[in-house]
Amino acid sequence: MKNSLLHTPEGVRDIYGEEYARKLWVEDVIRKQFGLYGYEVIQTPTFEFFDVFSREVGTTPSKDLFKLIDGEGNTMVLRPDFTPGVTRCVAKYYHNLSEPLRLCYQGNTYTNTSSLQGKQKEVTEMGVELIGDESIFAEAETIALAIESLLAVGLKEFQISIGQVEYFKGMCEAAGINDDTELKLRDFISEKNIFGAENLLVEAGISEEHRNRLININDLFGAIDILRSAKKQADNKRSIKAVERLLALYEILCHYRVEKYVAFDLGMLSKYNYYTSIIFKCFAYGVGDVIARGGRYDNLLKQFGKPAPAVGFGLIIDDLMAALNRQKAEIPEESIISVIYNDDNFQDALAEARVLRKEGRSVKLKRM
Amino acid sequence: MERYLTFALCKGRLAFQTLELLEKIGIHCEEMKDKSSRKLIFVNEDLKLKFFLAKGPDVPTYVEYGAADFGVVGKDILMEENRRIYEVLDLSFGKCRMCVCGPETSKEKLLHHEKIRVATKYPHIAKDYFFNKKHQTVDIIKLNGSVELGPLVELSDVIVDIVETGSTLKENNLVVLEEICPVSARLIVNQVSMQMNPERIKKIINGLRKIV
Repeated sequence: MKNSLLHTPEGVRDIYGEEYARKLWVEDVIRKQFGLYGYEVIQTPTFEFFDVFSREVGTTPSKDLFKLIDGEGNTMVLRPDFTPGVTRCVAKYYHNLSEPLRLCYQGNTYTNTSSLQGKQKEVTEMGVELIGDESIFAEAETIALAIESLLAVGLKEFQISIGQVEYFKGMCEAAGINDDTELKLRDFISEKNIFGAENLLVEAGISEEHRNRLININDLFGAIDILRSAKKQADNKRSIKAVERLLALYEILCHYRVEKYVAFDLGMLSKYNYYTSIIFKCFAYGVGDVIARGGRYDNLLKQFGKPAPAVGFGLIIDDLMAALNRQKAEIPEESIISVIYNDDNFQDALAEARVLRKEGRSVKLKRM
Repeated sequence: MERYLTFALCKGRLAFQTLELLEKIGIHCEEMKDKSSRKLIFVNEDLKLKFFLAKGPDVPTYVEYGAADFGVVGKDILMEENRRIYEVLDLSFGKCRMCVCGPETSKEKLLHHEKIRVATKYPHIAKDYFFNKKHQTVDIIKLNGSVELGPLVELSDVIVDIVETGSTLKENNLVVLEEICPVSARLIVNQVSMQMNPERIKKIINGLRKIV
């Protein structure tokens, strides 16, 4: 056997033995958790037409997508995330949205990320979409479900940071910033780059009063108190409304008893085009990237010809596993019983194994 | 018990300038000043802080993965490495410029879209500048040091490198042909620490913000 045949390409890997058993256990627990909240399972194709993930609806720049060409010359894409696919499916098959729709998914996603940065190109994601409910109760439900899923698998030190794009947009509108500057400012503020934002606003000729208000958004992250100071600083109805919505959301999260894991960040402005109001990310020590992200995306279904409000999140299971390992979370291991036989007593051994298997134990027959 | 906050600093002058700056807001690390020490990690037990030195391009990597909460590193490296971190402050030291340099005769070659060869330690920055800003086709050759040699031995038409005083260029009959962007030292922060430890981290950032 040639050794070169044994390699896997960069960014993908084999997961086997105990590691895979642990991963499957985690996936099982989370799927059950989704089930407890009444989410129905859905499976969409691994690859779809390019347009489903295009710039207007997509999360991933075109250059980071794995593309395939079919026999007719159509460009297809390995899904970089689930939401556009699930949304397309809903627009196609669910004609009656008079009642909110709860869907959950599980599978692998693919991004052709830059090499040598220690990131996997294929990861497992699990998530939910709650479609047809525009209330804060829907947002609270998805956030609480994300938190309870993480707690159920034994993660302890983590935090969900919630942002609200509308606050930022209201402040931009009040300051009279044009779209181009707003887009650049969005990048600076999501990177918490104060001096970059300041230079940009000075160049754009924004008054000092508005400049200070906008720059201050950078500091608006942390526990619930920051919402109160955010409200004080807001100079327009749109921003005030945004904060009020977050305050109301927090109250419901308290009823769920998950407020301990929640913080706010009004400078968190996702680069994902499709999020329209609240967005959230889950941070945990020991992982370079967020382990879950979600939010409200009320405009996405419209892209597929079926306007409806929606909110959802996706957990990246591989990063969650890394966080669980770092935090030394305990995952139950299934023990396998060995029943030993030789050529003479095989029947007895088999009978014993049968009894044990019926009891639900894992048994392997071992020949001596 | 309170968690340690860790600083990753670039080996060399930048590290000393950073320590000087930190002293102004009451953060000291005496251990680090002892040049005979062979320790790799330095600790301030009173303030629960740790410091370590790393090679420049590795600093954003340590910060991204949370091995360090803070890092101080040049903007050139941040642009080249493109890591997921918060870039929170311009410390306004370590100032220089990222430039396209070469012999006077190469100036002409930058005016058209004709293909040229570019030698650099910063392939990503060079590529981004020529492809996305100038729309010029270029061959990029990655070198690991003494980039100025490129045009002299006719390996390349121009170079992309940082220019501080310009004396090396002058001695070798090279000039700055175009400026890409200014560069200076930046304070960067791990995203998870920033979200999970906002009070302590904001305090340090705001302290530094007042004095830079």
